Amino acid sequence: MSSTRQPRSLRRTAVAATSAALAGVLLAACGSGGGSGSGGAQSGPVHIKVWAWYPQFKQVVAEFNKTHKDVQVDWVQAGVGQDEYTKLKTTLKAGQGAPDVVMLEFQELPTIQLSKGLLDMGKYGANADKGNYVDWAWNQASDGDHVYAIPVDGGPMAMMYRADLFKKYNLKVPTTWAEYKEEAAKLHKADPQAYMTDFGSDETAGGWRQGLMWQAGSRPYTYSASKLPNIGVNLNDAGAKKVYDYWGDLVKNKLVDTQSYATTDFYNGLSTGKYATYIAAGWGPGYLSSVAKKTSGKWRVAPLPQWTAGGNAQGDWGGSSFSVTSQTQHPKEATEVARELFGTSQAAWKIGIDQAYLFPLSKPVLNGSYFGDKKYDFFGGQQINKVFVPAANGIGSFDWSPFQDFAYNTDTSEVGKALQGQSDWSAVNDNVQSQVTSYAAKQGFKVSK
Amino acid sequence: MSLLRQQGSTVTAPPSAAPAKGLRTPAGGRRTGGLSARTRHKGMGVLLISPFLLLFLAFLVAPLGYAFWLSLRTSTLVGGDHFSWFANYQQTFTDPHFLSGVRRVAVFGVVQIPVMLGFALLGALIIDEVTSRLAKVFRMTLFMPYAVPAVIGALMWGFLYSPTFGPVNAISNSLGLGKVDLLSHTLMLTSLGNIVTWQWTGYNMIVLYAALQGLPREVYEAAKLDGAGQVQTALRIKIPMISSAMVLALMFTIIGTLQFFTEPRVLEKTASSVITPDYTPNLYAYNLAFQYSEFNYSAAISFSLGAVVFIGSYFFLFATRKRSGLK
Repeated sequence: MSSTRQPRSLRRTAVAATSAALAGVLLAACGSGGGSGSGGAQSGPVHIKVWAWYPQFKQVVAEFNKTHKDVQVDWVQAGVGQDEYTKLKTTLKAGQGAPDVVMLEFQELPTIQLSKGLLDMGKYGANADKGNYVDWAWNQASDGDHVYAIPVDGGPMAMMYRADLFKKYNLKVPTTWAEYKEEAAKLHKADPQAYMTDFGSDETAGGWRQGLMWQAGSRPYTYSASKLPNIGVNLNDAGAKKVYDYWGDLVKNKLVDTQSYATTDFYNGLSTGKYATYIAAGWGPGYLSSVAKKTSGKWRVAPLPQWTAGGNAQGDWGGSSFSVTSQTQHPKEATEVARELFGTSQAAWKIGIDQAYLFPLSKPVLNGSYFGDKKYDFFGGQQINKVFVPAANGIGSFDWSPFQDFAYNTDTSEVGKALQGQSDWSAVNDNVQSQVTSYAAKQGFKVSK
Repeated sequence: MSLLRQQGSTVTAPPSAAPAKGLRTPAGGRRTGGLSARTRHKGMGVLLISPFLLLFLAFLVAPLGYAFWLSLRTSTLVGGDHFSWFANYQQTFTDPHFLSGVRRVAVFGVVQIPVMLGFALLGALIIDEVTSRLAKVFRMTLFMPYAVPAVIGALMWGFLYSPTFGPVNAISNSLGLGKVDLLSHTLMLTSLGNIVTWQWTGYNMIVLYAALQGLPREVYEAAKLDGAGQVQTALRIKIPMISSAMVLALMFTIIGTLQFFTEPRVLEKTASSVITPDYTPNLYAYNLAFQYSEFNYSAAISFSLGAVVFIGSYFFLFATRKRSGLK
């Protein structure tokens, strides 16, 4: 989940705020009223309320408001990731209080769409943007001519590694997962305090594990809102099993650490050299450079190790989009905001790339030279997007389920059991499959494999 | 730990039920008045309680009613929403997630409650006996964790338990004992119990201390004359005499334990592979509603938990009615 990109302090605030989630929702409900600041009858700009979480969004909003006369954006930071979704789901249930436009990660779109929370922007001209975005992202954001979100950023995965540690321990940059394991053993033997990486076992790393399975060829869901109530659930296919067999083996041999990703211990490990690599996503550079500032210049980026030598299989972890909620009073203007907050605006994307470290899914920006040739001091001046852009272009199509939170939580619980030695790693995928299948059936889906 | 526990501070303030009994007599005496006066009184009474009554209806009865109505309906992600009588309740009591949560808090309570109340009682007896300035400092210090909001307390302990930053690991490492993972599956309940004990011992101590302070001093003198030492006075006089306060403290603690939520909810972020979404019944209800949008089933779980708490406390009070003075 790209929520992990936020600095620790922000997440902490979010944690504390969750306990008061209901209170927050009540406040939001009082303050919003559909975001119609001045009302339809009056002249003057229409105010559109937007929920988004990264701090640099402030400049993006300023840029939008500067370049638009009839529509103005009111930004609210309503929590990071799951905290925001909790509030959104509550406002949707309550029937009021939702913003006009909301930032959503791709895996959350089917869930919110199924609860009838999203407006079909296709009716307001959003289909014109289809060619602007990479195919897999547009497919996740739409269903035929129905457009439920405008893609913004993605999380193509790659391997970040500490060049200095690799040199010190004479490690080779692995290109396959088999090599990765060999180097992990070599490193841990040379320094028992150091690990090749940290296996993301917690909820915030649900997307990390899914991304690795994506790369291994796993396609757990076959879902499209227009084919309800049919859904294909196949969480224990060969690709998924391959990933847990592999990582379970690394964990059992103590070649990787098992710290939760949402902890200070993990950030600390990234900055003290405890971890020699970090299997990261396209938004990872911003995240890493904020939590491990003092290691600036020591990191490099290499493509994700492959299952077969010479392969080009990629996966995605996180990434976000803008959706218009069904509660908006101004569907036309809200759609305009979702489409144009970034859209093709050079200025907005400059803020997004340079300050928020967004990985653009807009084709002209993604394939443009500004992004592609950019050198990053944190990575010793490496042009890291020479790794990330091909990775993004190698991501195939992938469906999410409309009960993704349940699936991630179940997966996290089962991985937890395996980690604690209560069950076997080889049983994780089968257990997740049977629990998610019976949940889906209970929710009224017609489940097939 | 939970709202109910905090409410305990207002409810437990009079540690015995004796004053309430005393009040009943004058009220009974007033009944001899004329009929018109009684009706007038009644009208005045309704008027006087109406501010309370309105808030009571709006913020307690109405939400409860709405939640109960929700719990009688079933809504699925596909196929919508229909009236289903008690199907959700039937599901609740066969739901392994709910039952495992209930079992977990029961195990937790069986160990944690006696430990905490034991410490609280010991502390109360000591500060009741020792009247130096040190006792006041001791009393303040033990009570202080209660003033820390539960979320902050849990976050703080989360850091103390951290394998990298926590002092526990630093100590065990320097002693050569290796890594102790306090957030692992095997130690998590103990770690949570430690947080709760830290937070609530002082509070319960003050409740028991207040009860002790209310005891007539002549009894001690009589005991002394009969040759009872301090330990005997404590065991045979003080503890039996504050048993009603102890029953109430125990009762609120049991209710709080069944509703265990804040601490696991906070630590869930750092150890989500251990603290699963169904870790406690309350956490499960929360996750069902706000993560999975299963508001109806969540309402049924909440009501079932409420029923467990209600029936449990009723039987507890019934069983201890002699000691608590509530018979």
